[in-house]
Amino acid sequence: MGEAILFTLFSLSAVAFALGMVFRRNAVHCALHLVGVLLSLSGMFVLLHAQFIAAIQILVYAGAIMVLFLFVVMLLNVKGETPLLTPGAAKGFGFFFAFIAFVELLWIVVSQGGTEGEPAPVPALPPNFGSPAEIGKILYTTWLFPFEVTSILLMIAVVGAVVLAKRKFA
Amino acid sequence: MDAAFLIESAVKVLIVLGFVLLGVPLIVWMERKVIGHMQDRIGPQRVGPFGLLQTIADGIKLFFKEDLIPGQADRVVFFLAPALSVITAFVALSVVPFGDKVTVFGRDVPLHVADVNVAILWVLGTTSMGVYGIVLGGWASNSKYPLLGGLRSSAQMISYELAQGISLVSVILMTGTLSLAGIVAQQEHMWFIVPQFFAFVIFLLCGIAETNRAPFDLPEAETELVAGFHTEYSSMKFALYFLAEYANMMVVSAVAISVFFGGWRGPFLPPVAWFLIKLSLFLFFFVWLRATFPRLRYDQLMAFGWKVLLPASLLNLAVTAVVVALTG
Repeated sequence: MGEAILFTLFSLSAVAFALGMVFRRNAVHCALHLVGVLLSLSGMFVLLHAQFIAAIQILVYAGAIMVLFLFVVMLLNVKGETPLLTPGAAKGFGFFFAFIAFVELLWIVVSQGGTEGEPAPVPALPPNFGSPAEIGKILYTTWLFPFEVTSILLMIAVVGAVVLAKRKFA
Repeated sequence: MDAAFLIESAVKVLIVLGFVLLGVPLIVWMERKVIGHMQDRIGPQRVGPFGLLQTIADGIKLFFKEDLIPGQADRVVFFLAPALSVITAFVALSVVPFGDKVTVFGRDVPLHVADVNVAILWVLGTTSMGVYGIVLGGWASNSKYPLLGGLRSSAQMISYELAQGISLVSVILMTGTLSLAGIVAQQEHMWFIVPQFFAFVIFLLCGIAETNRAPFDLPEAETELVAGFHTEYSSMKFALYFLAEYANMMVVSAVAISVFFGGWRGPFLPPVAWFLIKLSLFLFFFVWLRATFPRLRYDQLMAFGWKVLLPASLLNLAVTAVVVALTG
């Protein structure tokens, strides 16, 4: 019962913030709405017993990445940016992609939800599910290769950023 | 989730909230008194015994001051920013254990609001959210000095968060838990300041920078930026920023105590008393620093964070990892 209430609360706020992010004109307001979305999602992660992911969501996305976004938005002072497309073309693109997304969702619902009767029972969670220790273990055994590849990717990005930033002074 | 648990949690939330709200005026009084004496003055002494009620009087004065909002300000964000500052500071305190289990009405009550299994990440996450209060306050005022102060603070806090997080990781490596209660439980025989002295120094320096206290108070450097991010704030909104700064000092001190100084552990006296004693010593240290050091220059601050603290914390982490791996 309590979980259902919390889930509704978080999902409603996530959708509301997401809509706000799309529709607000002011870039800083958009960024703030995105922070709201991230916080709501982190609440959902807690409901899914993924406390570690929830904390990381706040720490990394809401606390670090979005602050940098905000930093850039404020420094550049984006006010009325010139639109890339004419309003008509933008609308056309919008409808086109919305239609594709709709078909995709419909496809998933039709292909998955076709089975009759009771939904499959949720399997019992293993002990310590979602705890940092368990996640660490999985990351360093089953998913070691993707994990290391990601770290190299991030390393490349860091080196690239430094090279690009240094070029000015050379 | 039974009713007793809900009542217990509500009571604990109120205790922590009340403690911070009552504690902050006391800290402010202590700060003014101590700095006064360090500068060969006597500090507040007119209102109440030893001037104890001075900050209460100041608080009441702030309540009744006119609330000014700049004409070009972004009103919603202008309102939101101080509230964000205070909320993040309060929320961080919810995971700090301030005493051992006590038995109330036949019920074992652990003395912390919530024992989250990712408590340290929670504290780091909420304090990193605290940047928003300052940055947004600076931006929403739509004025030069606040914006500069806000931008400075975002750069400063992000830079120092890194080294702070990494310094805590070396303790996590030793304990194998992210729960503050769990870390306190493992310090029965030895406080972690002994094996992790360098981690403590790095954590404390970053903590001072995170709370924007002297000598790292560049976001509000009054000689350059009038008052930095809160230049345009007045009345109770200014008071909220004030409250948040001192609440954040409490957060940093409480985490440092729990991670490096055995939390509520100590001989003879009850655990809560030990916690309060350690907390007061830390807060005194913060005040002492402010009275002693001049403010850093901005480039010095950045260089210190990225070129000294970050490599030092990484080195400390590497050494800890090797030692932990060798000794098992």
